[in-house]
Amino acid sequence: MLIPARLVTIWAVLQLGILLLLQQAFAVWMMALFASMLVYKLITHLSGRPAIGLKLVNLIAAVIAIALMFNLRQSGVLNFMLQILLLAAICRLLALKHSYDARQLVWVHYFLIGSCFVMHQDMLVALIIFFAFTVNLYSHFYLFAPSAVKVQWHQTGRSLLIILPLWLGMFLLFPRVPPFWQIPNAKIASSGLSDTLDPGSIEQLVRDDSLAFRAEFDGAPPSQDQLYWRSYLYEDFDGRRWQVNAVRKNRNRMPNITATGTTDNMQYRIIAEASRQYNLFALALPSKVNNDVYIGSGGLIKSNKPVSQRISYQVTGANTLIALATDNERDINLDVAEGNAETLNFARQLAKQHSTPAALVQAISAHFNQQDYYYSLTPPMLGSNSIDEFLFDTRTGFCSHYASATALILRAAGVPARVVGGYQGGVWHPQQGYLAVRQREAHAWVEYLYEDQWHLYDPTAAVAPERILDSLESALTLEQQQMLMSGWLELELLQNLRLQLMHLDYYWSVWVLGFNDNNQQAIWRNLRQHITLIAITFTTLLALIFAGFVFSWWRNRPLNSTHAATLLIQRQLGKLLQSKAANQSMSAFLRQLSAQHPTQRDWLILLTLSYEQAVFNNDTHALKSLQKQLKCNSKRLKILRRSIKNT
Amino acid sequence: MLTQLHNVERNLNQVILGKPHQIRLALCCLLAEGHLLLEDLPGMGKTTLAHALADSLGLSYRRVQFTSDLLPGDLVGMNIYDSRSQQFRFQAGPVFSQVLLADEINRASPKTQSALLEAMEEKQVSIDGETRALPKPFFVIATQNPLFHAGTSALPESQLDRFMFRLSLGFPDRKAEHLLLQRDSSNSRLELLTEKLDLDQLRTLQQQVPQINASDSLIDYLLSLVEASRQRNDMLPLSPRASKAILRAAKAFALINNRDYVNADDVQQVFPYVAEHRLDPTSSAQESRLSTLILKATPCSI
Repeated sequence: MLIPARLVTIWAVLQLGILLLLQQAFAVWMMALFASMLVYKLITHLSGRPAIGLKLVNLIAAVIAIALMFNLRQSGVLNFMLQILLLAAICRLLALKHSYDARQLVWVHYFLIGSCFVMHQDMLVALIIFFAFTVNLYSHFYLFAPSAVKVQWHQTGRSLLIILPLWLGMFLLFPRVPPFWQIPNAKIASSGLSDTLDPGSIEQLVRDDSLAFRAEFDGAPPSQDQLYWRSYLYEDFDGRRWQVNAVRKNRNRMPNITATGTTDNMQYRIIAEASRQYNLFALALPSKVNNDVYIGSGGLIKSNKPVSQRISYQVTGANTLIALATDNERDINLDVAEGNAETLNFARQLAKQHSTPAALVQAISAHFNQQDYYYSLTPPMLGSNSIDEFLFDTRTGFCSHYASATALILRAAGVPARVVGGYQGGVWHPQQGYLAVRQREAHAWVEYLYEDQWHLYDPTAAVAPERILDSLESALTLEQQQMLMSGWLELELLQNLRLQLMHLDYYWSVWVLGFNDNNQQAIWRNLRQHITLIAITFTTLLALIFAGFVFSWWRNRPLNSTHAATLLIQRQLGKLLQSKAANQSMSAFLRQLSAQHPTQRDWLILLTLSYEQAVFNNDTHALKSLQKQLKCNSKRLKILRRSIKNT
Repeated sequence: MLTQLHNVERNLNQVILGKPHQIRLALCCLLAEGHLLLEDLPGMGKTTLAHALADSLGLSYRRVQFTSDLLPGDLVGMNIYDSRSQQFRFQAGPVFSQVLLADEINRASPKTQSALLEAMEEKQVSIDGETRALPKPFFVIATQNPLFHAGTSALPESQLDRFMFRLSLGFPDRKAEHLLLQRDSSNSRLELLTEKLDLDQLRTLQQQVPQINASDSLIDYLLSLVEASRQRNDMLPLSPRASKAILRAAKAFALINNRDYVNADDVQQVFPYVAEHRLDPTSSAQESRLSTLILKATPCSI
């Protein structure tokens, strides 16, 4: 049987959609190649030209497969597998002629659609994937029943109705099995802060409006000026850039800090977006975490593997200072590197005037505050002695400038100090009860060591206190604010819509993506607790359904043999009756049927006889034999029904 | 018995060529103990059919040619003074026969027509205050010309209602007429009739008719047909007498078709001939517009 024309169109569009959904797995040239193959197929198909010959398609497939193989190292195993699979599907479509060729193709489509979840966990994309799934389901029914339009829609709808509760049940109750195989990590650029902090890296983040993570608190959220989300410790300074020390990159866990006698007073949950980095976020001093994360050295929270999907974890911690772990840590944080002579001089002078680190810090604050220092997102370019130039020349910069300058001054004055990279503040949504922290909340500040404790000091607060107390926007001039806003954001309605979507996405991540073993066990526990209630509800429901059945049977019950026979034959003939005129008697209709289908004539005549006996003569025996005849001839009836449908 | 009836039917078909359906309906009318009205143009063979029917049933029959000056007394008879016995003696009219052939019934005056009316319904006549029963069985087979013909006076609705069936033979088809001309002979075609039903056989058959089974759903269907006529204002509503007639006719039709139950097709078959002249007395028998309308508009689920 030839493949129905509409099916090829549907599949070409579907494959284009899958290609777009999986675009992260494809290099640009592959996207272009695959898309052009599909568009070519679509155009030739719609203009009625036949499919390409199998030999040519095989040749094309082989060439492209070899090219993909050469690219294997760049794209990684997972992406390569997806590429090969999609290539196979596209080439199959190019050469598609008969409907039996297409049967595997539908199943491959299901697999490809499912694999889109490797790349996306968003709610919107999930909806799109679900739509693609529905389209494929429809095409599946279309493939097997091309002429029965009603059947395709009915079956698709029915399947979805069956699938949805099944999905929900599996999602809620089926035990979470660890993956059978490791999904190779996709090689995708990471987002957010990085191992290196140079003046300018945060500037780029500030222009990025996307979400970094969300946080929910047990109890009231801390005030804005306490929300310093630590993510990176920059301790190596080369005179211009700050880098993460190699010690922090290993997987050492933080020594047990509960011994220090601090009491945990904070509990919160972080839902972090995919960043393809190990480093996550925490306030002050975390003491306990769950899921796939651990507390690394320096009190930073890290993930066991790069965060390639949105993850959520629970943190218990104290809002206290972080203790010095090793003496080595002190030594590292005293290195001032070469250059920046002016700054070093300035620092030594300050050190002579102020003996304690606290006084020193106050002096630095005063310096920034009283002198002409400006907070700006567009500072002038700096030369090789960048901190000298910033402190004494340009005097304009943003958090990373102030933080690195302060850290250097402190180090030069003999106080161990380091730059901390992370996020400051966030947007609190009181109704939904979560804090949204975007990339633009990226911030850098300083920690200095005093009496074996690391103290937090944010020099930016001295220059632009609004940045800390309120938000980034308030610290900027109007002109700078406008620069931050992309055009469409100005529309209030759209902004509102975007916000609502973000909230929806939040619930999605909390209730769907964040649903884990613990939640599941909780559900089972709950179920067990309310077992009697559930049993009662279930029985009542069953009883109601049963009563409904009985009632509907009772209402449609055959009053006598006449009625029963009429009902019986109406039910059995079903769609055949569509071709019966309303005023035509059933026997006349049966006679007409047997005239139309001479091969079915004999049993139809017998059927008519029994029917008439049952209906017009109240003959119960005839009713029984009518039932028997209908049962025996059910296959023939089916054939008849089909023949009517096809005409 | 039924076989004999079918023999008679076959025989009749040799006399009246090419009209098997009308013949079956006419027999059906007689089995249902109804009176039959044949309406046609002159020369279509209605008198022949009436004759043939009466002949085949083996009953005594009298024929009355209705004219405008026919008096009721000519029909039912009268008391005549016998001078010899010095008493009034009843001289029975032609109505005292088992089959009355009323030829061209619509030529008679309404007065005479209504005299027939009593006889048809009550199966008795009253003369000079004395009621006399008519013989059993008593059929009236009447023929009439279409109403637009000169010198006719329409039968009143009440009288039309007393005829169970109204049939029209219509023109024979070409083949039948060809045969008719071919066999043309000076002898009456009625001589062809060899198969006859005797009185006992007829009675037995007539007694079987009411015993034919009519199921509830069939009666429901019949009633929905009747009700359809009552809900419309472009036709006369069908009376309960009409619905009784329809059912009786359908039963007889089922009997002729060798069944012991009535099916929906029986009802649909007889309905136009039983109902049309009741729905519209002025209609011509060749058409069955209103009854077809009702049949089309009423859904049949059995």
